[in-house]
Amino acid sequence: MNEPPPWSLPGTVELFARLKLRLLAGNLRGAVERKLGFVFTLVMAASLTAVGFALMALVRLAPRDVAVDLVIVVHTVLLISWMIVPLLAFGLDDTLDPARLSLFPLRTGQLAVGMFTASATGVWPLATLIVTAGGLVGLATGAGGVLVGLVAVFLQFALCLVLSRLVTTSLSGALRTRRGRDVLAVAAVFVVLLAQLPNLLVNADLGDPRAVLHGVAGVLRWTPSGMTAHAIADGGLLGLAELLVVALVVAGAAWLWIKVLNRALVTPDASTRAGSVRGGSGLVDRLLPDGPLAAVVGKELKYLRRDPRMRVIWFTAVVVTAVLAFSLSGNSQEAPGPWLPVVLTSIGAAMIALQSGNAFGIDGPSYWMNVVACGSEEHFRTDLAGRHLATTLVATPVLAVAATATALFAGHPAMIVPAVLTAWGVLGVGLAAGAVTSVTIPYTVPERMNAFTGAAPGQGGQAFASSMGALLGVLAGSLPVVLPVVLGPAWVSVVAPFYGLLAAALGRRLGARIGFARMPDLLAAVSRPA
Amino acid sequence: MTDAVRTSGLFKRYGPQVAVAGVELVVPAGSFAGLVGPNGAGKTTTLGMVTGLLRPDGGRAEVDGLDVWRDQVRVKARIGVLPEGLRLFERLSGRELLHYNGRLRGIPRADVERRADELLNVMDLAGAADKLVVDYSTGMRKKIGLAAALLHNPSVLFLDEPFEGVDPVSASTLTEVLRRFTASGSTVIFSSHVMDLVERLCDWVSVMSAGAIVAQGPLAEVRGGRSLNEAFLALVGGPRGTGDAGLTWLGAHPSATEEPR
Repeated sequence: MNEPPPWSLPGTVELFARLKLRLLAGNLRGAVERKLGFVFTLVMAASLTAVGFALMALVRLAPRDVAVDLVIVVHTVLLISWMIVPLLAFGLDDTLDPARLSLFPLRTGQLAVGMFTASATGVWPLATLIVTAGGLVGLATGAGGVLVGLVAVFLQFALCLVLSRLVTTSLSGALRTRRGRDVLAVAAVFVVLLAQLPNLLVNADLGDPRAVLHGVAGVLRWTPSGMTAHAIADGGLLGLAELLVVALVVAGAAWLWIKVLNRALVTPDASTRAGSVRGGSGLVDRLLPDGPLAAVVGKELKYLRRDPRMRVIWFTAVVVTAVLAFSLSGNSQEAPGPWLPVVLTSIGAAMIALQSGNAFGIDGPSYWMNVVACGSEEHFRTDLAGRHLATTLVATPVLAVAATATALFAGHPAMIVPAVLTAWGVLGVGLAAGAVTSVTIPYTVPERMNAFTGAAPGQGGQAFASSMGALLGVLAGSLPVVLPVVLGPAWVSVVAPFYGLLAAALGRRLGARIGFARMPDLLAAVSRPA
Repeated sequence: MTDAVRTSGLFKRYGPQVAVAGVELVVPAGSFAGLVGPNGAGKTTTLGMVTGLLRPDGGRAEVDGLDVWRDQVRVKARIGVLPEGLRLFERLSGRELLHYNGRLRGIPRADVERRADELLNVMDLAGAADKLVVDYSTGMRKKIGLAAALLHNPSVLFLDEPFEGVDPVSASTLTEVLRRFTASGSTVIFSSHVMDLVERLCDWVSVMSAGAIVAQGPLAEVRGGRSLNEAFLALVGGPRGTGDAGLTWLGAHPSATEEPR
């Protein structure tokens, strides 16, 4: 029949809950790695839930005002996570994209209920609900408090879901264009930064943590998530009034979301306005002799600028080094030893070099183009050399800046030159290790990298083995050059760059020997669907 | 004259599943050859093994009389490849992709630039030459892929489904270029399951089914007086009787006046 049947609320809820469970189960079918991944997620979620619930409940033992402040902050953090994390993980969950459902004869209200149900079904929503309920144990007083608290917990949960939906739906159009995904991929870096935030805060010494907490909570208290927390604690008329406000916010957000959803369903994907790129061949091309080497270097440098994955990788390496430098050299009581800049810059060099531990992964399925052109081991070596040269061209100045900065920061300007030279040596060792892991443990880097995985489904093990292998290689190879500089006279560092060059050349030779022999396997490993 | 492509006993398995079971593919030099077969017949696997992208589990493959796996340098200089899918270096512009390809093969830069410009013009891509490949349409991607495969002037060209998803205008550009290419004595081998197209373009046909060649020869011989489509269905086992069972509800529309709202 052509007439869509009338819909009922419980029916829709059940339908979408089952759809979501079906999708979850379907994702697990077949692949052992995914099952293990899911079990891992379950264990993670269960333990986080237990710990979260316990901590929230234990808040009761803290002084009353501190307890309220804590719950306010936790509620707000949960809310913000709900708004950000699904964006970064976009693509993990089919139910997040309303366009998938746009061809079904669903009314907007039905769709809204359905998608709300789908997003409430799952491991993490359940975890959120339980952790939030922990606040009830921690704060509520008296029967009225518990009643108000129950409503508050559910409102907070609904608030998380609805705002999360609102954000993803309003951005879903943009997320389906290439440019939008490019921007988002780079945004994933901020999660890495966020992970460093506590470290920085602790080091920055902002003052009395309780005062800070109180200040932050004082501001957040008037946000909807703060109000739900406060309502649990209050449990009286004021709490009820606050809940009314939050309920209005939830209803308003839901209304807005339905409007956005309606529009998203009838608006076509924004076509990506394709910009032109400049055709200039650049300085590198003029300096290098014409041939395959220059071709590879030019292509790698272009990818460095244009591929969001490369941007993420480089940005991460530079930022993590900077954070390490900041947190290690800035905070010790006595002046750090002269070895510090050397070690720090060397770590930076290793980080940068490790990014090439899967050199063909970013080429991915397009790597065939190199394979059909590469007929000899020598050609393969040239390919590797081009990649190394491109990395070196960027890394050399970056490391020089890093060495200068850390040396000045640590108060040892005399160590600038030794630090730079040592780091260049370590870079060479890292490239050598990377050349070998690239051909022995290759894996696909997914086109749409999110903040949580860096490998195609099922290749997480390879990615781990690859980075561990490269890391061990760098460590073992770097010690002979870093240790003498750290322990002995600084002039030893003069040898380091040559050591690095030699190591890189040997690495390329070994990599080409192995890689050329197994080129079809290499291609298959980096061409996995992701 | 040697054959452009000759394989013997080419064999490939994926786990327990045998994808290609002893393929004896022969394509005479200078022919415009079609490799046809239903989905899953092993066309892509065969082309992958002949072009050095996929390692065979057994058997031999020769291009212009040279062993594909023993004489890689010479074979790879002679062949041009457009594999299945449209997997290209997405973040290069069309022009940069051609330049990269030519220079990777050691062709001098000035030559590469001249050839790339001519190919871009012939393929009607001059306007989009400086846009990133990631923003190209399917037809444009097939055309830039073909241009990249032709840039080093190969003697044998392997194309996997070159016309799939290509609009008629781009398709006619592609066929025009390929015709000129074979007219000069070079060989084209392409896989397809569009019989009309193969019938129109090819003078040599190899029919694959279930991992083996079931018929092979000049078009007229394989066709044997029928249309290629009929001959193909007879060779690979045509449609089984659909019968009347089921689907009785299909097409039964009482009235369509009420708008679903």
